[in-house]
Amino acid sequence: MPIWLDVVFRAILFIIVLFFITKFLGKKQLSQLSFFEYVTGITIGGIAAIVILEVRHSIFIGGLAIVVMASIPYIVGLISLKSKKFRDFVEGKGSIFIKDGKIMEDNLKKERYTTDELLELLRKNNVYQVSDVEFAVLEPTGDLSVMLKKENQPLTPKDLNLTVASVKEPQTVIMDGQLLDEPLATIGRSHAWLHTELEKLGVTIENVFLGQVNSYGELTVDLFDDKLQVASPQERPLILSTMKKCQADLELFALGTISKEAKQMYSKNSEKLQEAIDKITPILKG
Amino acid sequence: MTIGSDVKQCLASLKGIEASLSSLAIRTQENESKQTLHETMMVVNELVTDLNKRVGELER
Repeated sequence: MPIWLDVVFRAILFIIVLFFITKFLGKKQLSQLSFFEYVTGITIGGIAAIVILEVRHSIFIGGLAIVVMASIPYIVGLISLKSKKFRDFVEGKGSIFIKDGKIMEDNLKKERYTTDELLELLRKNNVYQVSDVEFAVLEPTGDLSVMLKKENQPLTPKDLNLTVASVKEPQTVIMDGQLLDEPLATIGRSHAWLHTELEKLGVTIENVFLGQVNSYGELTVDLFDDKLQVASPQERPLILSTMKKCQADLELFALGTISKEAKQMYSKNSEKLQEAIDKITPILKG
Repeated sequence: MTIGSDVKQCLASLKGIEASLSSLAIRTQENESKQTLHETMMVVNELVTDLNKRVGELER
């Protein structure tokens, strides 16, 4: 076998081997590099390169080395799952860089981070003023996690005592003009329903680039033809405004009628409706 | 007589709201919202009953 053919064969073989080994090791190997994953990743790459290029090495020995190197982080991962102490030793602990709003200079020095690098890491977290930070920790992966002081944290509905309706994830039911059966079945809708909704919007399915159904069963679409305007769902705001109108009507009737009994009935009902409106507004507005 | 027709109109609107709320409740995936929509529908239903009675009285 000529050398070039051997190299081609080996390259293809090792790509396949590496592919399956990375699959086997899981997403962790790809996403966050702890010490072991970092070292074994480099070594496996090195071994593969050597075995592919230097044809005098046997494929079997190269493959064996790769499998052994790959099994080490796997075993270490298994033990780490069981023991916290082992985990801290192998994967390292985070070091606290800012605590109670004060920079821990000793920890900075220990991790050999300069002030500039700290500022850079903070900026990556969209923090430009150190005094805004309550707490920051350098994770073992090298990222900085920052907790801002309460007054600098983004405002949430909870801070404003607002009630908001909870929502479920929307389902994508149309992609590139193709109907997707599985998400449609997840929300319990039929093809016929979807076609009716599309007809209501006045578009054909071929013209829809992306269509999603939100947790209220409303369909929103993006069309291939960007010049066309599509109506946004109006049903919920319409219900709310009709409810408000009825409430006002009831109050009017209460004022207008002479009969005492009817007056009482009207005002009681208008109060009831007002209560209902207050309760349902977060849902109908959202 | 005009009052009578106004009340009837309001009654019709309320019936419409009841139906819309009911269909929205059926279509909503989220359980808590579903519950609230259903409860509101019940309240509107009570209103419809009361107004119906009043319309009967006005027509007499």
